[in-house]
Amino acid sequence: MKLLTLPERLGLVSYRNQAKSEIKPHILVDTDICNSTCPHKCTTYVCPANCYTKDEDGNVHFQVEDCIECGTCMYACDQGAVTWEFPDPEIGRGVTWNFG
Amino acid sequence: MDEKFDCIIVGAGVAGLSAAMTLARANMKFLLIEKGEFPGSKNVSGGVLWGNDLAKLVPDYWEEDAGWDRYINHRRLTFLDEQSSFSIDFKSSHFNEPPYTGVVVLRSKFDRWLAEKVEEAIAASDYAMDSFIAPNILVEEVLMENGKAVGIRTGDEKFYADSVIIAEGVNNLLTRQVGLQDKYVPADHMLTGVKEIIRFDQKVLEDRFQLNGKSGMSNEFVGFATNGVEGGGFLYTNKDTISLGLVLGLKDLREKEQTPYDILNHFKKHPAISDMIRGGEVVEYSAHIVSSGDKRVMPEKLYKAGLVICGEAANLLMNAGKAIQGMDYAMRSGILAAEAITKAKEKGDFGEDAMKIYQTALEDSYIMKDINNFQDAVHLLHDPVMTQKVPNLICDFGRNFFSIKNEPTPKSREMLRGAIKRHASYWELIKLGAKGAKAL
Repeated sequence: MKLLTLPERLGLVSYRNQAKSEIKPHILVDTDICNSTCPHKCTTYVCPANCYTKDEDGNVHFQVEDCIECGTCMYACDQGAVTWEFPDPEIGRGVTWNFG
Repeated sequence: MDEKFDCIIVGAGVAGLSAAMTLARANMKFLLIEKGEFPGSKNVSGGVLWGNDLAKLVPDYWEEDAGWDRYINHRRLTFLDEQSSFSIDFKSSHFNEPPYTGVVVLRSKFDRWLAEKVEEAIAASDYAMDSFIAPNILVEEVLMENGKAVGIRTGDEKFYADSVIIAEGVNNLLTRQVGLQDKYVPADHMLTGVKEIIRFDQKVLEDRFQLNGKSGMSNEFVGFATNGVEGGGFLYTNKDTISLGLVLGLKDLREKEQTPYDILNHFKKHPAISDMIRGGEVVEYSAHIVSSGDKRVMPEKLYKAGLVICGEAANLLMNAGKAIQGMDYAMRSGILAAEAITKAKEKGDFGEDAMKIYQTALEDSYIMKDINNFQDAVHLLHDPVMTQKVPNLICDFGRNFFSIKNEPTPKSREMLRGAIKRHASYWELIKLGAKGAKAL
Protein backbone atom coordinates (compact mmCIF):
# COMPACT_ATOMS: atom_id res chain seq x y z
CA MET A 1 0.00 0.00 0.00
CA LYS A 2 1.32 3.42 -0.96
CA LEU A 3 2.25 5.55 2.02
CA LEU A 4 0.66 8.98 2.11
CA THR A 5 2.46 12.27 2.49
CA LEU A 6 1.10 14.77 4.98
CA PRO A 7 -0.44 17.04 2.31
CA GLU A 8 -2.22 13.98 0.87
CA ARG A 9 -3.50 13.13 4.34
CA LEU A 10 -4.67 16.65 5.05
CA GLY A 11 -6.37 16.64 1.67
CA LEU A 12 -8.78 14.07 3.15
CA VAL A 13 -9.80 16.34 6.04
CA SER A 14 -13.10 18.26 5.89
CA TYR A 15 -12.37 21.74 7.20
CA ARG A 16 -15.07 24.17 8.23
CA ASN A 17 -15.77 27.51 6.59
CA GLN A 18 -13.53 26.73 3.65
CA ALA A 19 -15.43 29.08 1.39
CA LYS A 20 -14.64 32.04 3.63
CA SER A 21 -11.62 34.06 2.64
CA GLU A 22 -11.11 35.55 6.10
CA ILE A 23 -11.19 33.33 9.15
CA LYS A 24 -10.59 34.08 12.79
CA PRO A 25 -7.56 32.06 13.97
CA HIS A 26 -8.26 29.99 17.08
CA ILE A 27 -4.59 29.65 17.96
CA LEU A 28 -2.28 32.58 18.51
CA VAL A 29 1.45 31.97 18.54
CA ASP A 30 3.94 34.45 19.89
CA THR A 31 6.71 33.48 17.48
CA ASP A 32 8.97 36.08 19.08
CA ILE A 33 9.31 33.60 21.94
CA CYS A 34 9.95 30.71 19.52
CA ASN A 35 12.60 32.69 17.71
CA SER A 36 14.39 34.17 20.69
CA THR A 37 14.47 32.02 23.80
CA CYS A 38 12.92 28.61 22.90
CA PRO A 39 15.54 25.86 23.11
CA HIS A 40 13.69 23.23 21.03
CA LYS A 41 11.08 24.76 18.67
CA CYS A 42 9.30 21.45 19.13
CA THR A 43 5.99 22.47 17.55
CA THR A 44 7.75 22.37 14.17
CA TYR A 45 8.06 18.60 14.46
CA VAL A 46 5.39 17.38 16.91
CA CYS A 47 2.38 19.06 15.26
CA PRO A 48 0.44 16.31 13.43
CA ALA A 49 -0.69 18.80 10.77
CA ASN A 50 2.63 20.64 10.34
CA CYS A 51 1.06 24.01 11.11
CA TYR A 52 4.38 25.14 12.53
CA THR A 53 7.31 25.36 10.12
CA LYS A 54 10.89 26.57 10.21
CA ASP A 55 12.30 28.71 7.42
CA GLU A 56 15.87 28.64 6.08
CA ASP A 57 17.05 30.85 8.93
CA GLY A 58 15.48 28.56 11.50
CA ASN A 59 12.65 30.98 12.31
CA VAL A 60 9.29 29.51 13.30
CA HIS A 61 6.15 30.37 11.34
CA PHE A 62 2.59 29.38 12.13
CA GLN A 63 -0.53 28.95 9.94
CA VAL A 64 -3.88 27.92 11.34
CA GLU A 65 -5.55 26.77 8.10
CA ASP A 66 -4.43 23.13 8.35
CA CYS A 67 -5.09 22.80 12.09
CA ILE A 68 -7.10 19.71 13.00
CA GLU A 69 -7.76 20.85 16.60
CA CYS A 70 -5.83 17.99 18.21
CA GLY A 71 -4.37 20.13 21.00
CA THR A 72 -0.79 18.82 20.73
CA CYS A 73 0.89 22.25 20.58
CA MET A 74 -0.96 23.46 23.69
CA TYR A 75 0.86 20.83 25.78
CA ALA A 76 4.09 20.52 23.80
CA CYS A 77 4.94 24.22 24.03
CA ASP A 78 6.37 24.74 27.50
CA GLN A 79 7.53 28.28 26.69
CA GLY A 80 4.18 30.04 26.88
CA ALA A 81 4.09 30.91 23.18
CA VAL A 82 0.84 29.14 22.31
CA THR A 83 -2.61 30.55 23.16
CA TRP A 84 -5.14 27.91 22.24
CA GLU A 85 -8.92 28.26 21.89
CA PHE A 86 -11.53 26.25 20.06
CA PRO A 87 -12.44 27.68 16.65
CA ASP A 88 -15.57 29.78 16.32
CA PRO A 89 -18.23 27.71 14.50
CA GLU A 90 -19.17 30.63 12.23
CA ILE A 91 -15.95 32.48 11.49
CA GLY A 92 -13.25 30.05 12.60
CA ARG A 93 -11.53 27.11 10.96
CA GLY A 94 -11.31 23.64 12.44
CA VAL A 95 -12.66 20.27 11.42
CA THR A 96 -15.72 18.14 10.88
CA TRP A 97 -14.65 14.51 10.98
CA ASN A 98 -16.30 12.10 8.57
CA PHE A 99 -15.29 9.03 10.59
CA GLY A 100 -13.64 10.25 13.78
CA MET B 1 -33.87 32.79 26.20
CA ASP B 2 -35.19 33.85 29.63
CA GLU B 3 -36.04 30.49 31.07
CA LYS B 4 -33.63 28.69 33.31
CA PHE B 5 -32.60 25.09 32.81
CA ASP B 6 -32.05 22.47 35.48
CA CYS B 7 -28.75 21.75 33.80
CA ILE B 8 -26.54 22.88 30.93
CA ILE B 9 -24.19 20.23 29.56
CA VAL B 10 -21.16 21.45 27.64
CA GLY B 11 -20.08 18.95 24.98
CA ALA B 12 -22.09 16.28 23.16
CA GLY B 13 -19.50 13.54 23.18
CA VAL B 14 -19.99 10.25 24.95
CA ALA B 15 -19.95 11.79 28.45
CA GLY B 16 -22.30 14.65 27.60
CA LEU B 17 -24.74 12.47 25.68
CA SER B 18 -24.81 9.88 28.47
CA ALA B 19 -25.54 12.62 30.98
CA ALA B 20 -28.25 14.02 28.69
CA MET B 21 -29.90 10.63 28.25
CA THR B 22 -29.95 10.13 32.01
CA LEU B 23 -31.38 13.61 32.61
CA ALA B 24 -34.07 13.15 29.95
CA ARG B 25 -35.17 9.88 31.53
CA ALA B 26 -35.33 11.63 34.93
CA ASN B 27 -37.59 14.33 33.46
CA MET B 28 -35.07 17.10 33.83
CA LYS B 29 -35.00 20.24 31.72
CA PHE B 30 -31.61 20.67 30.11
CA LEU B 31 -29.61 22.21 27.32
CA LEU B 32 -26.84 20.16 25.71
CA ILE B 33 -24.42 22.36 23.79
CA GLU B 34 -22.00 21.11 21.14
CA LYS B 35 -19.42 23.24 19.32
CA GLY B 36 -19.29 20.99 16.27
CA GLU B 37 -21.65 20.85 13.34
CA PHE B 38 -23.32 17.79 14.91
CA PRO B 39 -22.54 15.55 17.91
CA GLY B 40 -19.43 13.51 17.12
CA SER B 41 -18.18 15.85 14.41
CA LYS B 42 -15.14 16.91 16.45
CA ASN B 43 -14.50 13.64 18.23
CA VAL B 44 -11.68 11.22 17.55
CA SER B 45 -11.17 7.89 19.27
CA GLY B 46 -9.40 4.59 18.64
CA GLY B 47 -11.83 3.18 19.40
CA VAL B 48 -13.52 0.49 21.31
CA LEU B 49 -16.31 1.26 23.75
CA TRP B 50 -15.68 -1.38 26.41
CA GLY B 51 -18.19 -2.88 28.80
CA ASN B 52 -21.93 -2.88 28.71
CA ASP B 53 -23.14 0.52 29.92
CA LEU B 54 -24.37 1.29 26.41
CA ALA B 55 -27.17 -1.22 26.97
CA LYS B 56 -28.29 0.86 29.97
CA LEU B 57 -28.68 3.90 27.74
CA VAL B 58 -29.95 2.16 24.61
CA PRO B 59 -31.42 -1.22 25.56
CA ASP B 60 -31.11 -3.81 22.81
CA TYR B 61 -28.84 -1.51 20.77
CA TRP B 62 -27.52 -4.67 19.09
CA GLU B 63 -30.87 -5.15 17.34
CA GLU B 64 -30.07 -2.07 15.26
CA ASP B 65 -27.65 -1.98 12.41
CA ALA B 66 -26.70 1.59 13.29
CA GLY B 67 -24.38 3.58 15.49
CA TRP B 68 -21.78 0.95 16.32
CA ASP B 69 -19.63 -0.96 13.84
CA ARG B 70 -18.65 -4.38 15.22
CA TYR B 71 -18.57 -6.27 18.49
CA ILE B 72 -15.21 -7.55 19.72
CA ASN B 73 -14.67 -11.29 20.07
CA HIS B 74 -11.02 -11.33 19.08
CA ARG B 75 -8.21 -9.64 21.02
CA ARG B 76 -4.56 -9.52 20.10
CA LEU B 77 -1.49 -7.96 21.69
CA THR B 78 1.47 -7.89 19.32
CA PHE B 79 5.15 -7.30 20.05
CA LEU B 80 7.08 -6.00 17.07
CA ASP B 81 10.72 -5.76 16.14
CA GLU B 82 11.92 -4.65 12.74
CA GLN B 83 11.04 -7.89 10.98
CA SER B 84 8.88 -9.90 13.32
CA SER B 85 5.60 -9.91 15.18
CA PHE B 86 4.91 -12.07 18.22
CA SER B 87 1.30 -12.05 19.43
CA ILE B 88 -0.82 -13.07 22.33
CA ASP B 89 -4.07 -13.88 20.61
CA PHE B 90 -7.42 -14.66 22.15
CA LYS B 91 -10.65 -15.32 20.29
CA SER B 92 -13.78 -16.77 21.78
CA SER B 93 -17.34 -17.40 20.67
CA HIS B 94 -18.15 -16.70 24.32
CA PHE B 95 -18.19 -13.03 23.29
CA ASN B 96 -20.56 -13.56 20.36
CA GLU B 97 -23.84 -13.03 22.16
CA PRO B 98 -25.22 -9.72 23.41
CA PRO B 99 -24.79 -8.00 25.73
CA TYR B 100 -21.39 -7.51 24.15
CA THR B 101 -18.37 -6.59 26.24
CA GLY B 102 -16.92 -4.24 23.67
CA VAL B 103 -18.05 -2.58 20.46
CA VAL B 104 -15.95 -0.72 17.90
CA VAL B 105 -17.27 2.72 17.10
CA LEU B 106 -16.46 5.61 14.78
CA ARG B 107 -17.35 8.74 16.67
CA SER B 108 -18.75 10.84 13.86
CA LYS B 109 -21.34 8.11 13.33
CA PHE B 110 -21.73 6.78 16.89
CA ASP B 111 -22.21 10.09 18.70
CA ARG B 112 -24.65 11.32 16.08
CA TRP B 113 -26.66 8.10 16.49
CA LEU B 114 -26.58 8.33 20.29
CA ALA B 115 -27.76 11.95 20.01
CA GLU B 116 -30.80 10.75 18.03
CA LYS B 117 -31.57 8.38 20.89
CA VAL B 118 -31.29 11.29 23.32
CA GLU B 119 -33.70 13.30 21.13
CA GLU B 120 -36.17 10.40 21.40
CA ALA B 121 -35.78 10.38 25.19
CA ILE B 122 -36.34 14.17 25.28
CA ALA B 123 -39.49 13.76 23.18
CA ALA B 124 -40.80 11.20 25.67
CA SER B 125 -39.99 13.41 28.69
CA ASP B 126 -42.03 16.15 30.39
CA TYR B 127 -39.78 18.71 28.73
CA ALA B 128 -40.22 17.57 25.14
CA MET B 129 -40.41 21.20 24.02
CA ASP B 130 -38.01 22.68 26.57
CA SER B 131 -34.90 20.49 26.54
CA PHE B 132 -32.56 20.85 23.59
CA ILE B 133 -29.44 19.59 21.89
CA ALA B 134 -27.85 22.67 20.35
CA PRO B 135 -24.94 22.17 17.93
CA ASN B 136 -22.70 24.83 16.39
CA ILE B 137 -22.36 26.76 19.64
CA LEU B 138 -19.05 27.37 21.34
CA VAL B 139 -19.20 27.90 25.10
CA GLU B 140 -16.63 30.53 25.96
CA GLU B 141 -17.24 30.88 29.65
CA VAL B 142 -18.88 29.22 32.61
CA LEU B 143 -20.72 31.95 34.48
CA MET B 144 -19.96 31.93 38.19
CA GLU B 145 -21.73 33.90 40.92
CA ASN B 146 -20.46 33.79 44.49
CA GLY B 147 -18.47 30.64 43.72
CA LYS B 148 -21.41 28.84 42.15
CA ALA B 149 -21.88 28.00 38.47
CA VAL B 150 -25.05 29.64 37.20
CA GLY B 151 -24.84 29.22 33.46
CA ILE B 152 -22.69 29.72 30.39
CA ARG B 153 -21.79 32.42 27.92
CA THR B 154 -21.41 32.09 24.17
CA GLY B 155 -20.52 35.32 22.38
CA ASP B 156 -22.87 37.94 23.85
CA GLU B 157 -25.51 35.42 24.78
CA LYS B 158 -25.95 33.96 28.24
CA PHE B 159 -27.88 30.87 29.25
CA TYR B 160 -28.73 30.15 32.85
CA ALA B 161 -29.14 26.91 34.78
CA ASP B 162 -29.06 25.49 38.30
CA SER B 163 -26.13 23.33 37.30
CA VAL B 164 -23.46 22.87 34.63
CA ILE B 165 -21.89 19.61 33.51
CA ILE B 166 -18.55 20.15 31.81
CA ALA B 167 -18.00 17.34 29.31
CA GLU B 168 -15.75 19.27 26.96
CA GLY B 169 -13.12 16.60 26.35
CA VAL B 170 -9.42 16.38 27.08
CA ASN B 171 -8.59 19.89 25.90
CA ASN B 172 -10.47 21.14 28.92
CA LEU B 173 -10.33 24.92 28.64
CA LEU B 174 -13.43 25.51 30.77
CA THR B 175 -12.16 23.16 33.48
CA ARG B 176 -9.04 25.34 33.58
CA GLN B 177 -11.11 28.52 33.55
CA VAL B 178 -13.08 27.48 36.65
CA GLY B 179 -9.81 26.61 38.36
CA LEU B 180 -10.12 22.83 38.63
CA GLN B 181 -7.16 22.26 36.32
CA ASP B 182 -3.92 24.20 35.98
CA LYS B 183 -3.89 26.84 33.24
CA TYR B 184 -0.94 25.10 31.59
CA VAL B 185 -0.90 21.32 31.49
CA PRO B 186 2.58 20.02 30.61
CA ALA B 187 3.25 17.34 28.01
CA ASP B 188 4.60 14.88 30.57
CA HIS B 189 1.63 12.55 30.85
CA MET B 190 -0.24 13.36 27.68
CA LEU B 191 -0.10 11.44 24.43
CA THR B 192 -0.73 12.44 20.85
CA GLY B 193 -2.86 9.98 18.92
CA VAL B 194 -2.68 9.80 15.13
CA LYS B 195 -4.89 7.58 13.08
CA GLU B 196 -5.88 6.60 9.58
CA ILE B 197 -9.18 5.14 8.52
CA ILE B 198 -8.42 2.65 5.77
CA ARG B 199 -11.24 1.35 3.61
CA PHE B 200 -11.50 -2.12 2.05
CA ASP B 201 -14.06 -4.04 0.13
CA GLN B 202 -16.11 -5.41 3.05
CA LYS B 203 -15.62 -9.03 1.96
CA VAL B 204 -11.85 -8.54 1.73
CA LEU B 205 -11.83 -7.05 5.22
CA GLU B 206 -13.90 -9.89 6.66
CA ASP B 207 -11.77 -12.57 5.04
CA ARG B 208 -8.49 -10.92 5.95
CA PHE B 209 -9.33 -10.49 9.61
CA GLN B 210 -11.48 -13.64 9.94
CA LEU B 211 -14.59 -11.71 10.81
CA ASN B 212 -18.02 -13.27 10.78
CA GLY B 213 -21.16 -11.16 10.50
CA LYS B 214 -20.68 -8.27 12.94
CA SER B 215 -17.71 -9.72 14.82
CA GLY B 216 -14.57 -7.64 15.09
CA MET B 217 -10.97 -7.64 16.25
CA SER B 218 -8.89 -5.30 18.35
CA ASN B 219 -5.12 -5.46 18.08
CA GLU B 220 -2.62 -3.43 20.11
CA PHE B 221 1.07 -3.16 19.23
CA VAL B 222 4.22 -2.36 21.16
CA GLY B 223 7.83 -2.06 20.02
CA PHE B 224 8.85 -1.14 16.48
CA ALA B 225 5.48 0.58 15.90
CA THR B 226 6.49 3.78 17.67
CA ASN B 227 10.09 4.04 16.42
CA GLY B 228 11.64 4.33 19.86
CA VAL B 229 9.04 6.73 21.27
CA GLU B 230 7.03 5.73 24.31
CA GLY B 231 3.55 4.53 23.36
CA GLY B 232 1.94 1.92 21.16
CA GLY B 233 -0.13 1.15 18.09
CA PHE B 234 -3.66 -0.07 17.52
CA LEU B 235 -5.80 -1.64 14.83
CA TYR B 236 -9.56 -2.01 15.12
CA THR B 237 -11.87 -3.48 12.50
CA ASN B 238 -14.87 -1.32 11.61
CA LYS B 239 -17.64 -2.35 9.23
CA ASP B 240 -15.72 -1.87 5.98
CA THR B 241 -12.72 0.08 7.25
CA ILE B 242 -10.01 -0.32 9.85
CA SER B 243 -8.76 2.25 12.33
CA LEU B 244 -4.98 2.08 12.35
CA GLY B 245 -2.98 4.39 14.53
CA LEU B 246 -0.54 5.23 17.25
CA VAL B 247 -0.53 6.92 20.61
CA LEU B 248 2.77 8.65 21.30
CA GLY B 249 4.07 10.03 24.57
CA LEU B 250 4.25 13.75 23.87
CA LYS B 251 7.18 14.54 26.13
CA ASP B 252 9.15 11.68 24.61
CA LEU B 253 8.20 12.79 21.11
CA ARG B 254 9.51 16.26 21.93
CA GLU B 255 12.73 14.97 23.43
CA LYS B 256 13.42 12.53 20.59
CA GLU B 257 12.57 15.14 17.98
CA GLN B 258 10.15 12.92 16.12
CA THR B 259 7.08 13.61 14.01
CA PRO B 260 3.80 11.72 14.47
CA TYR B 261 2.88 11.21 10.80
CA ASP B 262 6.38 10.00 9.94
CA ILE B 263 6.16 7.41 12.72
CA LEU B 264 2.75 6.37 11.36
CA ASN B 265 4.37 5.62 7.99
CA HIS B 266 7.19 3.79 9.77
CA PHE B 267 4.54 1.62 11.49
CA LYS B 268 2.72 0.98 8.20
CA LYS B 269 5.97 -0.18 6.58
CA HIS B 270 6.39 -3.03 9.07
CA PRO B 271 6.02 -6.28 7.08
CA ALA B 272 3.24 -7.63 9.34
CA ILE B 273 1.27 -4.39 9.12
CA SER B 274 1.82 -3.89 5.43
CA ASP B 275 0.36 -7.38 4.83
CA MET B 276 -2.71 -6.41 6.83
CA ILE B 277 -3.41 -3.15 5.00
CA ARG B 278 -2.57 -4.20 1.45
CA GLY B 279 -5.07 -2.90 -1.08
CA GLY B 280 -6.73 -0.54 1.37
CA GLU B 281 -7.51 3.09 0.68
CA VAL B 282 -6.93 5.78 3.29
CA VAL B 283 -10.13 7.80 3.64
CA GLU B 284 -9.34 9.90 6.71
CA TYR B 285 -6.34 11.08 8.68
CA SER B 286 -6.93 12.45 12.17
CA ALA B 287 -5.11 13.29 15.38
CA HIS B 288 -6.02 14.10 18.94
CA ILE B 289 -4.49 14.48 22.36
CA VAL B 290 -5.33 11.74 24.83
CA SER B 291 -4.60 11.51 28.54
CA SER B 292 -2.70 8.57 29.98
CA GLY B 293 -4.48 7.59 33.18
CA ASP B 294 -1.58 8.82 35.28
CA LYS B 295 -3.19 10.18 38.44
CA ARG B 296 -0.42 12.69 39.00
CA VAL B 297 -1.89 15.01 36.39
CA MET B 298 -5.60 14.32 36.72
CA PRO B 299 -7.73 17.14 38.17
CA GLU B 300 -8.16 16.18 41.82
CA LYS B 301 -11.43 17.88 42.50
CA LEU B 302 -14.20 17.38 39.95
CA TYR B 303 -16.90 19.65 41.31
CA LYS B 304 -17.77 23.11 42.53
CA ALA B 305 -21.09 24.47 43.66
CA GLY B 306 -23.45 23.89 40.72
CA LEU B 307 -20.80 22.23 38.59
CA VAL B 308 -19.30 18.82 37.81
CA ILE B 309 -16.65 17.63 35.36
CA CYS B 310 -16.85 14.29 33.56
CA GLY B 311 -15.25 12.19 30.83
CA GLU B 312 -11.90 13.15 29.33
CA ALA B 313 -12.30 16.69 30.67
CA ALA B 314 -11.56 15.03 34.02
CA ASN B 315 -8.85 12.94 32.30
CA LEU B 316 -10.83 9.78 32.93
CA LEU B 317 -8.97 7.40 30.69
CA MET B 318 -6.63 4.52 31.32
CA ASN B 319 -4.54 1.98 29.51
CA ALA B 320 -3.29 -0.56 32.03
CA GLY B 321 -2.25 -3.05 29.38
CA LYS B 322 -5.53 -4.87 29.00
CA ALA B 323 -7.51 -2.29 27.07
CA ILE B 324 -7.54 1.43 26.39
CA GLN B 325 -10.57 2.53 28.37
CA GLY B 326 -11.88 6.04 27.92
CA MET B 327 -15.27 6.05 26.27
CA ASP B 328 -16.72 3.67 28.86
CA TYR B 329 -15.38 5.93 31.60
CA ALA B 330 -16.98 8.88 29.81
CA MET B 331 -20.29 7.06 29.63
CA ARG B 332 -20.36 6.00 33.27
CA SER B 333 -19.13 9.36 34.58
CA GLY B 334 -21.78 11.15 32.50
CA ILE B 335 -24.46 8.91 33.98
CA LEU B 336 -23.16 9.49 37.52
CA ALA B 337 -22.99 13.25 36.97
CA ALA B 338 -26.61 13.33 35.80
CA GLU B 339 -27.72 11.21 38.73
CA ALA B 340 -26.06 13.57 41.20
CA ILE B 341 -27.74 16.55 39.54
CA THR B 342 -31.12 14.83 39.57
CA LYS B 343 -30.70 14.22 43.32
CA ALA B 344 -29.70 17.84 43.80
CA LYS B 345 -32.85 18.96 42.01
CA GLU B 346 -35.02 16.73 44.24
CA LYS B 347 -33.48 18.32 47.30
CA GLY B 348 -33.46 21.78 45.79
CA ASP B 349 -29.80 22.20 46.67
CA PHE B 350 -27.07 22.50 44.04
CA GLY B 351 -24.37 23.55 46.48
CA GLU B 352 -20.89 22.17 46.76
CA ASP B 353 -21.88 19.27 49.03
CA ALA B 354 -24.63 18.22 46.62
CA MET B 355 -22.13 18.15 43.76
CA LYS B 356 -19.61 16.25 45.84
CA ILE B 357 -21.99 13.29 45.66
CA TYR B 358 -20.84 12.90 42.05
CA GLN B 359 -17.19 12.55 42.94
CA THR B 360 -18.02 10.14 45.77
CA ALA B 361 -20.03 8.01 43.34
CA LEU B 362 -17.13 8.12 40.90
CA GLU B 363 -14.68 7.03 43.62
CA ASP B 364 -16.99 4.11 44.48
CA SER B 365 -17.36 3.07 40.82
CA TYR B 366 -15.09 0.77 38.84
CA ILE B 367 -13.55 3.81 37.17
CA MET B 368 -11.64 5.27 40.11
CA LYS B 369 -11.16 1.86 41.69
CA ASP B 370 -9.37 0.71 38.53
CA ILE B 371 -7.46 3.96 38.08
CA ASN B 372 -6.28 3.77 41.70
CA ASN B 373 -5.46 0.06 41.58
CA PHE B 374 -3.57 0.09 38.30
CA GLN B 375 -1.32 3.14 38.62
CA ASP B 376 1.71 0.86 38.72
CA ALA B 377 0.60 -0.79 35.51
CA VAL B 378 0.23 2.63 33.85
CA HIS B 379 3.79 3.52 34.88
CA LEU B 380 5.08 0.12 33.77
CA LEU B 381 3.59 0.50 30.30
CA HIS B 382 5.46 3.77 29.90
CA ASP B 383 8.77 2.26 30.99
CA PRO B 384 11.23 2.29 28.05
CA VAL B 385 12.32 -1.27 28.91
CA MET B 386 8.74 -2.37 28.40
CA THR B 387 8.08 -0.41 25.22
CA GLN B 388 11.37 -1.15 23.45
CA LYS B 389 13.60 -3.83 24.93
CA VAL B 390 10.94 -6.38 25.81
CA PRO B 391 9.38 -6.46 22.31
CA ASN B 392 12.84 -6.89 20.76
CA LEU B 393 13.69 -9.64 23.19
CA ILE B 394 10.41 -11.49 22.63
CA CYS B 395 10.72 -11.30 18.85
CA ASP B 396 14.35 -12.46 18.99
CA PHE B 397 13.29 -15.44 21.10
CA GLY B 398 10.43 -16.17 18.69
CA ARG B 399 12.75 -16.10 15.71
CA ASN B 400 15.05 -18.66 17.34
CA PHE B 401 12.26 -20.78 18.77
CA PHE B 402 10.46 -21.09 15.45
CA SER B 403 13.61 -21.62 13.35
CA ILE B 404 14.00 -25.26 12.33
CA LYS B 405 17.55 -25.73 11.07
CA ASN B 406 18.18 -29.47 10.80
CA GLU B 407 20.71 -29.00 13.54
CA PRO B 408 20.54 -30.01 17.18
CA THR B 409 18.00 -27.66 18.80
CA PRO B 410 19.06 -25.80 21.92
CA LYS B 411 16.72 -25.89 24.89
CA SER B 412 14.23 -23.02 24.94
CA ARG B 413 15.74 -21.83 28.21
CA GLU B 414 19.08 -21.27 26.48
CA MET B 415 17.38 -19.46 23.61
CA LEU B 416 15.65 -17.19 26.08
CA ARG B 417 18.89 -16.53 27.94
CA GLY B 418 20.55 -15.56 24.64
CA ALA B 419 17.70 -13.26 23.70
CA ILE B 420 17.82 -11.54 27.08
CA LYS B 421 21.56 -11.04 26.80
CA ARG B 422 21.23 -9.45 23.37
CA HIS B 423 18.49 -6.98 24.28
CA ALA B 424 18.44 -6.27 27.99
CA SER B 425 20.02 -7.27 31.25
CA TYR B 426 18.70 -9.68 33.84
CA TRP B 427 18.72 -6.84 36.30
CA GLU B 428 16.40 -4.76 34.08
CA LEU B 429 14.05 -7.70 33.74
CA ILE B 430 14.08 -8.45 37.45
CA LYS B 431 13.16 -4.83 38.13
CA LEU B 432 10.47 -4.99 35.44
CA GLY B 433 9.18 -8.31 36.77
CA ALA B 434 8.94 -6.90 40.27
CA LYS B 435 7.07 -3.86 38.97
CA GLY B 436 4.87 -6.13 36.88
CA ALA B 437 4.01 -8.37 39.81
CA LYS B 438 3.08 -5.31 41.84
CA ALA B 439 1.11 -3.80 38.99
CA LEU B 440 -1.09 -6.79 38.25
